[in-house]
Amino acid sequence: MKILIIEDEVDLAQSIGSYLADEHYLCEYAVSFAAAMEKIDIYEYDCILLDLMLPGGDGFRILEELKTQGKRDGVIIISAKNSLEDKIKGLQTGADDYLTKPFHLSELAARIYSLIRRKQFENVNVIEQNELKINLLSKVVTVNEHPIPLTKKEFDLLLYFISNKNKVVSKSALAEHLSGEVADMFDNYDFIYVHVKNLKKKLSEGGCENYLKTLYGTGYKWEI
Amino acid sequence: MSKLLHRSLKRFIIYSGLVLVCSIPVYYITISFLWQYEMDEHNIILTDEALREDRFLIVGAVTLLTVIFFALLMAGFILLNRKISHQLWQPFYKSLGQIRNFHIHHQRTLSFESSDIEEFSELNQSLAKLIAGNITAYDQQKEFADNASHELQTPLSIIQSKLDLLLQSKPLSDEQYHIIEDAHRALARVTRINKNLLLLTNIENSQFMDRETLDFSGLIENSISQFNNFITNKNLLLEDAIQPQVFIEGNKILIEILVNNLLTNAIRHTAENTSIKISLTPHLLSISNPGPVALRQEQIFRRFATASSLSPGTGLGLAIVKQISNRYGWNINYSFSDGLHTFQLLY
Repeated sequence: MKILIIEDEVDLAQSIGSYLADEHYLCEYAVSFAAAMEKIDIYEYDCILLDLMLPGGDGFRILEELKTQGKRDGVIIISAKNSLEDKIKGLQTGADDYLTKPFHLSELAARIYSLIRRKQFENVNVIEQNELKINLLSKVVTVNEHPIPLTKKEFDLLLYFISNKNKVVSKSALAEHLSGEVADMFDNYDFIYVHVKNLKKKLSEGGCENYLKTLYGTGYKWEI
Repeated sequence: MSKLLHRSLKRFIIYSGLVLVCSIPVYYITISFLWQYEMDEHNIILTDEALREDRFLIVGAVTLLTVIFFALLMAGFILLNRKISHQLWQPFYKSLGQIRNFHIHHQRTLSFESSDIEEFSELNQSLAKLIAGNITAYDQQKEFADNASHELQTPLSIIQSKLDLLLQSKPLSDEQYHIIEDAHRALARVTRINKNLLLLTNIENSQFMDRETLDFSGLIENSISQFNNFITNKNLLLEDAIQPQVFIEGNKILIEILVNNLLTNAIRHTAENTSIKISLTPHLLSISNPGPVALRQEQIFRRFATASSLSPGTGLGLAIVKQISNRYGWNINYSFSDGLHTFQLLY
């Protein structure tokens, strides 16, 4: 999986790169408009992370360029601009997703995972991991072929953990993922416990090994 | 190019002059005719008696004529005045109409018609200058808000990503995890304050101008369901009396923010195992929650008035509520009685 990170803040680009640098992802960087144009001209990427304000040009022009060239690279805009107009404009110009800064790296990883999954739907509509099988089309989770009934939130959580497997996911990141904008009005993320606890219980009752580890009350980790 | 006063005055003077010029031969002919008539009638011999009789006739005729000309003059003035006002003030009304329809966020520059009247052309020039200045200032402010958001959000995202990375490194002790989580919390608060400050600037800048008719009841129900996690988590009882089919006019995003901020406020500051009351009628939204002491009435809607180390909020939520209600000319009131904080929105 090749990912192009178009971001002029080298620090941020590197953090993203090192978070994503596991066996699936190969990250390349572009720190300016010109560099980004050159890269998209020559190569194809599974996913492009695009900052809108770049030295040397507007990120929207990169989107337009991708469109005129008829490229099918998935694009996630990562921008400090959070006005609705920018979001709409970005999505209309052909971006697949829009993430407002600052974001949790785990959220970004989940979005990338789901974007790539969508792009190559035919091959990967079932995620398999040992005894656990997740059908993304029908949203059915089975353990040893026995279905586990999950609520929408629990299903979301499971996917979030799997797209961040072997990473520590903080409680605040989970809260934001589950409740969106509303979550960041509160500092109390206790409701996360309930959802995670239920998910754990249902999986273990279904005979699934305990992959979901709790870390000192700070976060969680899906370990395989 | 002429002055407004001169222009109407000139017309009046010309008209009066014309009336005067017309009246001279009329007076002359009439008096001559009368004189001739009198001569013939009395065979030139003018007796004292006749003279007196004639005088009455002449005086009467002159008075009548004068009255006729006066009436003519008045009628003319009235007609002229009406026509002049209509014509002369046309550019003024056009400019007025343009200003009335002008909204700064539409970014449509005004082009005033050129006028050959000095006052109006000066007025139009000044207006054009004023509006152009305002548009520039508005654009600069918007750009500033945009840039400020970018400039702050970027370092914030770097910190956020570094913390996320730090969380991945091992081995980390229990204590280290907690330090990272505390840093995460503080960072989340800074991010929220930054977002809210930008929102306030944007409301003041009169963005979010578009209005639509919204189903207020549905919107509130929707917000409540979003907060369900937090309500059940605190074991709060929600007593809602929301009248269905209440409609409200405004920008959807702003109204949602207003409702969310009031709800957050109530949920955050309510002790566990108590209840929050929400009621909605066609002209009043009321949200109340129990609390030990009254808040300071004059302080609560001001920025950062309530922010302290004790309250986890940004200190901007109610300032934003106030700003949004001001924008739509609504009233937001706070009252405290029987251990109950009540916020009432009258719209």
